[in-house]
Amino acid sequence: MMWKDKYRIGVDLIDDQHIELFKRLSEFIKIVQDKERPWEDRLDNVKETMEFMKDYVVFHFDDEEEYQKSIGYPDIEIHKEAHRVFKEGVNDYVKIFEQGEFTEEKLQEFSAKLMTWLIMHVGKMDQKIGEYVNSKEVEA
Amino acid sequence: MKAEYVNSFYGATQDVFRLMLDLPVEKGDLKVIEGMVCSKETNILLGITGDLKGSILFGFKNNTALEMVKIMSGMELNEIDNFVSSALGEVANIIGGNAVTNLTSYDYICDITPPQVIVGEYKSMSAANKKSLLIPLKTDIGEFDVNIFLVEK
Repeated sequence: MMWKDKYRIGVDLIDDQHIELFKRLSEFIKIVQDKERPWEDRLDNVKETMEFMKDYVVFHFDDEEEYQKSIGYPDIEIHKEAHRVFKEGVNDYVKIFEQGEFTEEKLQEFSAKLMTWLIMHVGKMDQKIGEYVNSKEVEA
Repeated sequence: MKAEYVNSFYGATQDVFRLMLDLPVEKGDLKVIEGMVCSKETNILLGITGDLKGSILFGFKNNTALEMVKIMSGMELNEIDNFVSSALGEVANIIGGNAVTNLTSYDYICDITPPQVIVGEYKSMSAANKKSLLIPLKTDIGEFDVNIFLVEK
């Protein structure tokens, strides 16, 4: 399983979306790595999952930024910038795929990078939101 | 070779391994070696530019490399394919990025170039007669090397 409990930040809305993201990414990787089936047979499935992932990343980042705003999170601008860079990374690949290079090799590369970016972002950067929420609760 | 370089790369490697793989990393005895040679089966080369110039080479045995990506993905993997090598390349890239951040505390402003994954042992990566530093590292999933070749501008 790709999701680890240590990634929880203690805010249900965010944690649930993170769990969903990891679950979808895991499914995506499983299809990309399912070498028993010919690539052509997996292609529609890959495209469909990828489309969902791409939209869900944006949806989740928007929700997370909205939440940060609602709690007066001080590092919101740094975090927004990290989201922007993340989305740019995804979009660079979307462009490559739209230009027709929808190959197994390219998809392996993309899914691997997405996995590491997500682990780093959720495992490191998002943890700071949880720490801030906790510090506020202690104050209150 | 300055301790600052070693501390920056070793520290970054420890942080990233703990965060991404839940693995503690222990440092073995440093060695000065001639040139920069791929000592293990799967190697990742990072270029460093800026106040320091040179390369960093990570060397993993295939078993260790597969185990690392298995921990991240939660999936059984049995070959070094593009998924595995891209994931390793990205881990090295993240370590390099963190190391470059660490180097700023020693007043070195550097940047990294995109990782290159090289599969195969004993390929020489730099001209002979240049010394580089090898840091052997130990983890529960095997040993690996970080090779540092840096010169000040």
